[in-house]
Amino acid sequence: MTDIAEFDFEAEALSYMDQLYAAALRMTRNGADAEDLVQETFAKAFAAQDKFTPGTNLKAWLYRIQTNAFINTYRKKQREPKRSDAESVEDWQLAAAAEHTSSGLASAEDNALDALGDDEIRRALSELSEDFRMAVYLSDVEGFAYKEIAQIMDTPVGTVMSRLHRGRKLLREKLRDYAAERGLYEKAPVKKGQKDKDGGVCRAEA
Amino acid sequence: MCAVPKPECEEALDRLFEYIDHELPEDEIHRIGEHLKECAPCEAEHKINEKIKRLVNKAGHEVAPEELRSRILETIRATRPESA
Repeated sequence: MTDIAEFDFEAEALSYMDQLYAAALRMTRNGADAEDLVQETFAKAFAAQDKFTPGTNLKAWLYRIQTNAFINTYRKKQREPKRSDAESVEDWQLAAAAEHTSSGLASAEDNALDALGDDEIRRALSELSEDFRMAVYLSDVEGFAYKEIAQIMDTPVGTVMSRLHRGRKLLREKLRDYAAERGLYEKAPVKKGQKDKDGGVCRAEA
Repeated sequence: MCAVPKPECEEALDRLFEYIDHELPEDEIHRIGEHLKECAPCEAEHKINEKIKRLVNKAGHEVAPEELRSRILETIRATRPESA
């Protein structure tokens, strides 16, 4: 545990600069705005450092500041409409069940993923709406727990889970599309979620 | 064969992301882990989603530009209360 008297806020905070910059790039999708956002985040964090309790999660605290700064400054500027999370839990649960596919199709998809480059992954992520994009980023890249993402995004844990489910499902769809465009993967000629005769949810045995 | 999901499959698929994200209690991790060992379609789903998580992780890291680093350090020095 960090000794409170020894806690070096400045050094600790600065050690997260690369991560905050990466998150800022995902948020703003623009290098110049990302730099401004990170600078604003550090300015705000240093101004408010008395409010930080040593021993608590500094990384999450900084992400929270950056998320707020982004919402207040850049989201307005970018005019991205705020998505509602109208989709219910049942919807994504249904979607999950629909993914019980034939093993041939799954292994083709698995192999196709290996051929995709970092730039395609980043492009797919950038095409997700902001809430989905940030939930996936905070979990997959930064390794935050659901509870921490909930704090950073100021939303209940259930909403974080729903954003992760929906975001990852869309991301996977996009990656399938990219792979199909490059001829790496043939998409199933069956409508999504189509039920078979037995009432099962097998997608692709055509 | 067209594998129609069993109740165990539904549990595993519903909880797959929580499983991958290490958000489940021990007993559920164990139960789902056991199911994945014996159910090929569920294991295929698990592998794909885990791979996407890994790919996103690999693609997501960045290094802040040097110029930004020095800009921030300058700002901090200027506002440091007991500036040396």
